[in-house]
Parts: sequence; structure tokens; C-alpha cells
Amino acid sequence: MKRVLNAAIGLSVFTLVFSAGPLLAQKNQPAKVKAAALQVEMIQSDEIKVPAEFQVAPYENLIRQLEKNGFSHVYRDGDRNATTVRDLVVLHSTVRGFKAGSERARQVTTVSGATSITVHCQFTSPDGTSLLEQDVNGKVRFFGGNLKATYDFAKKAAHVANENFSKPGRE
Amino acid sequence: MTSRTTTVLVGVASLFAGLVIPVAHAQRASGPVKVVQLTGLAGVKENAKGTLSVENGQLHFVHGKASSDVSAASIQDVVTGADSQRAVGGKIGMMSMAAPYGGGRVLSLFRSKIETLTVQYRDADGGLHGAIFTMPVGTAQVIKNELVAQGAHTTASGEPTPAANSSSSPNQEQKQ
Repeated sequence: MKRVLNAAIGLSVFTLVFSAGPLLAQKNQPAKVKAAALQVEMIQSDEIKVPAEFQVAPYENLIRQLEKNGFSHVYRDGDRNATTVRDLVVLHSTVRGFKAGSERARQVTTVSGATSITVHCQFTSPDGTSLLEQDVNGKVRFFGGNLKATYDFAKKAAHVANENFSKPGRE
Repeated sequence: MTSRTTTVLVGVASLFAGLVIPVAHAQRASGPVKVVQLTGLAGVKENAKGTLSVENGQLHFVHGKASSDVSAASIQDVVTGADSQRAVGGKIGMMSMAAPYGGGRVLSLFRSKIETLTVQYRDADGGLHGAIFTMPVGTAQVIKNELVAQGAHTTASGEPTPAANSSSSPNQEQKQ
């Protein structure tokens, strides 16, 4: 009888330890910042020269991916409608690294020719207060043209936004 | 003697024509140019094939029965670039990768040169858009010149610069 009791206590302690872990982890996660809308600024590449399409494609892909991730109000650079929005988060992006790569080399060798772009993303409030800063990398290793790296970057950047900012009505 | 002179003259004329005609062909006057719109035009799907022309101060893209216009005056920047694409692309190109003995990889070596036209413009609300087109060699600069003549702005002037081209650009990573 005593053995059964001991086993039951052991089992309950075991269950408690494994179930409490994820709960504590959730508690440790930083609270999401409220973002009623996002405004995406054009990608800057003053220090590192990139072809024009590598400046424009990440911007367009970023807007598309943010909308896909459930941000219903995504404003473009310079959009006058964004000025009146409360809890607006502005995303500034600067190219920090770029490797042109080669689609031909990728397809012929499968190990070389990767295209990569590293972009420093800074989320700020409209008054310029920094809310979050992170480097996001986009790569294409095998299939697809060089511009696919910008799609990869946009997907990752949208994921960062999704993880750190709460959308209206989904807090 | 006369026959020989005639032959030489015909030869020189043929050589001259051979040199001049491709240049004239490459810089042919604008009319609608077959392009692929990679991204950025409002209301147009990615990778949409269509024709591009400059008419009455508008950049006019026709895709199927639909069309999209961008006012040249609203264009903040227009840049041309050079790139290349697989000669055998699409589904056939993808399927060829499975060909035995590296046959698909050999096909990857054959690439055709293309040009890119990147246009940044503002919509009615002031929002910035960036559209990217790919087109045959020799057409991007013509469209750019027409856009600039009709009021578009540009930060870069001159001939197309090699873009993130697969074959010609150095593979050196630039980091801070």
C-alpha cells in the first residue's frame, strides 16, 4: 500500500515538473508591444551598395508578408494616412550585408553561389523611440533566382514582428 | 578589276550593316515591350507577363485584359540593371534537374541575358511603391529615357549596371 502511495506521489511530482516548465517559460516571455498598425520604411543601403531591385524587392515582400501574418493595417513609406494612427510602429531597415551569389553556380554545383542579404531591422514608435532591433538574414541556397533571398528575409522579418507585436483584437 | 572592286565594296557594306543593324535593333524605338512584372505594381500579381509602354506621361503595363498605369510625374526613381535567366526555365527547367548524368545541370549553364527596370513611385496617399520588371536586352534604357523625358526622376544616369547577376558579379560579401 505504501509502495503504491509513493509511486503516486512520484508520478504527480513528475507531472508537475513537466507541466510547470512550459507554463513558467510562457510567463518569462516578454509581453508583446501593442501595434495597431505598422509602417514600413523603404530599405536603406547607404553604406553597402546593392542593386536597386535588392532594395525594392525586400520592401515589397515585407509589406506582403506582414499582411499575410495578420497585420491588417500596413502602411507604406510616406503614406499620409499613417500620421493619425495611434499605437503605430515604424519599421526602419538598413542593409548590413549582401552577397550577390550566382544562380548558375547554385544549379551547377549545388554547394556554392548562395545569395544572402542581411538587414538590420529597427522597430520604433512614431517619435523615434526604439522598441526592438534585430538583424535578419535572407538566403537562397539552391532553387530560385537571386531575388528569392529577399523573400526569405521578408518572411523572417514578418515572423519577428509577429512574435513581438500584438495585433488589434488579438491580445 | 571592276568586278573585284564591286565585290570588296559589297563586302565592306555587308560588314558595316552587320555591325550597325544589331545596335539599331537593340535600341529600337519604344512600342510595347514584352516584360515580366516581378513585383510592385498595385493590383497586379507577381511574375505577371505583359507589355510595357510609355504613353501620354504614363507608364502603361498591360497584362491580359487588365492594365495598370503609373504617372511618370509620380516616379521618384527609375534604374536599369543587367541580369540573366535560365534559357530553359519554368516547369521544364525544374523537371530537367532530375535528368540523369547531370543533364539538368548542363542545361543550367545556358542562360539568356535580360535587363531589369526598377521603378519607385508614390500613390495618391503618398505611399511608396517599388516595381521591378525584366525585359529583353536593349529595351530598359529606352523606356527609362522616355520616362525621364516625360517627367520621371532618376538618381542614376547612364547605361545599365550589372545587377546581382549570376555570372558577372563578384561573390564577395560586403559587411560593415
